[in-house]
Amino acid sequence: MDDRCVETRIRNQIAEVESVAETVSQFCATHNLSNQLLVALGVSLDEALSNIIRYAYGDSRDHSILVRLDYEPGSVAAIVEDDGRAFNPLSAPPLDLAAPDRDRGFGIHFIKTLMDDVRYVRTDGINRLEMRKRIV
Amino acid sequence: MDVVEQLAGSVTIIEPRGRIDSATAKEFGDCLSKLLNAGRHQLVIDLHSITYISSAGFRQLLIAKRSTQDKNGKLAVCGVSGEVKRLFDIGAFGELLPIHPTREAGIASVQ
Repeated sequence: MDDRCVETRIRNQIAEVESVAETVSQFCATHNLSNQLLVALGVSLDEALSNIIRYAYGDSRDHSILVRLDYEPGSVAAIVEDDGRAFNPLSAPPLDLAAPDRDRGFGIHFIKTLMDDVRYVRTDGINRLEMRKRIV
Repeated sequence: MDVVEQLAGSVTIIEPRGRIDSATAKEFGDCLSKLLNAGRHQLVIDLHSITYISSAGFRQLLIAKRSTQDKNGKLAVCGVSGEVKRLFDIGAFGELLPIHPTREAGIASVQ
């Protein structure tokens, strides 16, 4: 198998996010990626997946969420696909860091800050979030 | 994530190890609220053994800080460096949580 690309699927249960964190850790070890990249990928995927699991589904059925990690010369990408309600995280208003008692909206702020390029597209009922970071 | 607890007089030091993310944040928060409910109101959270903390973990820290204030206790954070420090900076959490350079300084601040 080509280890430049790792693909996994999880159910929409918050405990399942742990297996993705393990996958990220192995992926970074395989490609000798820095701790900075491990943290950026780990935190960004945790934020993206927990948002989907908590807010994307209006039913109580099981849903499958796809997670893919791509290693390319010069960059790594984390891709998440879900069949939840349409949500473009890039359209969320910027976080007001000066607001008192702020404890919501940090997830997307972390993703936008930690990753170099974030793209969202919705096609045929599927949300696709691609988060890319340069290897420096 | 594992959590190591230590006592230094009336102060409880909590040292989580591994990741504080959406899968483990509740366990971390439960650990802090159990201590507070057991009357341990002087808490130092030493983060030097964590790989990272995501927003779910920061939320638990903020909840614990409010709970300690409600109980007239004190909470301090130490062991924040490298990428974890960067996460604190990105969210400007240093303004909301008292961060100390060493464990000893953290202990002194809650006594």
